[in-house]
Amino acid sequence: MANYFPLFDGLKLKNPLQTMSDDAKVKEAQHIWEHESLGGIAENNNPLPRPVVGLLVLTFLTAMAWTFPLFGQRPTAAIYVDYITLMHSAPIQAILNDTSLTSMQADEKAMTSIEKALAQFPSKYEFQRIQHPVTMDDLRIMEDAVVELQNQPGIDLEEYSIIGSHVSMANFVGNWKADGTRTRKQPWWDKGYMTSVVWFLSFCVIIVITVKRLPPITWKPDHSIAH
Amino acid sequence: MIKYMLAKEKDIPGGTAALFFSFSAIMWFIIGTGLGSFNAAKLAFPDWFTHSYALQFGHMRQVHVMAVIFGWITGAFAASAMYVVPALGNTKLWSEKLGVWNCMMWNVGMAVGLSSLWFGMTSGREYSDFIWPIDLYIAFVMVTPLFVNIFMSIVTRRTQGIYTTNWFFAASFFMLIIVFLIGNIPEFFHLTGLNEAYMTWWFAHNVLGLLITPVAAAITYYIVPKVTGNPLYSHRVGHLHFWSIVVFYSTPAAHHLMSSPLPEWLKSFASVEGVLILVPAVAYVCNILLTMQGRWSMFVENIEIKYTITGVLLAIPLNMQGGFQQTRAINWYVHGTGWIVAHAHLALLGFSTFAEAAAVYYGIQTLTRRKLYSLSLANFHFWMLLIGFSLYWVSMTIAGLIQGAGKIYEVPYMDVVIAEHPYMIVRWLGGTLVFIGNWVWLYNMYMTVKAGEKLSVGVQPQDVAYAR
Repeated sequence: MANYFPLFDGLKLKNPLQTMSDDAKVKEAQHIWEHESLGGIAENNNPLPRPVVGLLVLTFLTAMAWTFPLFGQRPTAAIYVDYITLMHSAPIQAILNDTSLTSMQADEKAMTSIEKALAQFPSKYEFQRIQHPVTMDDLRIMEDAVVELQNQPGIDLEEYSIIGSHVSMANFVGNWKADGTRTRKQPWWDKGYMTSVVWFLSFCVIIVITVKRLPPITWKPDHSIAH
Repeated sequence: MIKYMLAKEKDIPGGTAALFFSFSAIMWFIIGTGLGSFNAAKLAFPDWFTHSYALQFGHMRQVHVMAVIFGWITGAFAASAMYVVPALGNTKLWSEKLGVWNCMMWNVGMAVGLSSLWFGMTSGREYSDFIWPIDLYIAFVMVTPLFVNIFMSIVTRRTQGIYTTNWFFAASFFMLIIVFLIGNIPEFFHLTGLNEAYMTWWFAHNVLGLLITPVAAAITYYIVPKVTGNPLYSHRVGHLHFWSIVVFYSTPAAHHLMSSPLPEWLKSFASVEGVLILVPAVAYVCNILLTMQGRWSMFVENIEIKYTITGVLLAIPLNMQGGFQQTRAINWYVHGTGWIVAHAHLALLGFSTFAEAAAVYYGIQTLTRRKLYSLSLANFHFWMLLIGFSLYWVSMTIAGLIQGAGKIYEVPYMDVVIAEHPYMIVRWLGGTLVFIGNWVWLYNMYMTVKAGEKLSVGVQPQDVAYAR
């Protein structure tokens, strides 16, 4: 393997926290390090200061927390389907068409009735509905597009996001299957987060192997030999 | 230059290509900042100079952006690489003749490319504004010869190890070819819609992330240990910086399109990677500032260190802004405002330009073996650049916050224009200071080559720069 991947040349795992190179490799690296001048520049073998390591761990945690769906991910069309169905029902239409009310009063009364009705039935979208409240005007804007999508076979409204006045497919992952559905579907709380974690952990593994191939941090090069 | 283009390789003195690139880069910087000042004046005083169609803001903006990115910044990178890479490998540049030709064809390409933009021939895509023949010219006639020359200089080095600076130079110039060919696919194959938007911003993001930032960092990895005489603080932190740039800086293109209907998972992934850009940034700043241990007096005494460390310090707010302004919550507010313009100038006119100016100052003195003509003029240039940049950055950041508030609270557009008017004037003043400072810089560099005191054998420019 070492012929094809120099990274694994002389690799040993006896004491990985110190160095992952065998003794011969460490000696060779130390010799080059001390006997060669790279245009008059020398390099030390210091580790990253511990507070900075802590800062990097904090950076990763911040990255994950800051971009979590709670902070701004767009609502899917699916969470509003029940709203629109109720909006079209006779009792809600009666409220909206009640001429004794102003249009604003009618909207507020109709929305209160819809929310009251929705509260009667458990839904997997409860949490997302709290995150993304709507007004009657919002429903009117998205209404036609959502109904049109509902009438098309094989459409999963969880793949569609509400973007301003548009209902756009923006929530999908994976390829199409023959039956018109997707090969994969991410839950609402994982839109790229598992990918990020795997990407980050892969980086950590590779960078640890890379830097741990160097001589141990306890070794201080003598720059007086080459300079 | 024509003389050396037609000369035999052995008859061309070492460093010729680097010198030509240095002066070309300064010239493009003057042109680029002159255009920038002109454009800023049009934004500050909209009724000024309205009679010429070719000089309208819509034409001139791209010319300014491309002149500074590919004329000044990339030209200064080429100049730096052509003397730093051989020095670090204890060898000569692989081909001075190729370098001289490269410089000539670079300038021809810039002149033709910018003229085409001026005449209205544009792809219409921000940062990849050139039409496709110019894109191909840049990839194959400008950047490929540069990469070949630098890569072959590393291959033919006379050392076993390769210093950190040279990892960045070789990788970045190679990546620039890839970025140009892939990022301009919408231009080559007429992609539209989201594909076009994504590829356009993949290009724009990676010109910054895989060229400008890493190469500017590469320069500082050379200048700081070389001029201070201190060893680089840590070789292994250099590894962390390099590989985290590759892994985290190449992936977040989608964070430029957080309001678009790109897949949510792609935007989330890009946003996480966007914050993780702080990993290479922290590693890099830490490595360079710790290398300065015991030599901090040089920050005020030595012109190259003054430029370099100012650039490194500007990398701190640059990366803090860059890491967080792309997250959904903050992007909602600052997207499409002057904040982003301020951030772009923090990267290009702040961090990057200060590093490149240091490399050009150091390179011209080292290659010609002459002492800097005037330290006072160099200091004048430094302060014009720093004050001019600071005025620009602060005024545009404030203007951006005003525009963000106007956008969110649906303030009438004209009210926002009136509110930000004072900041547009300050922006113009700042840009103009940079422009004036650059003329002084060109004069100082020209006089250094013509009339700078000759250095005796074994003496480095930094050893005598302050001896009067």
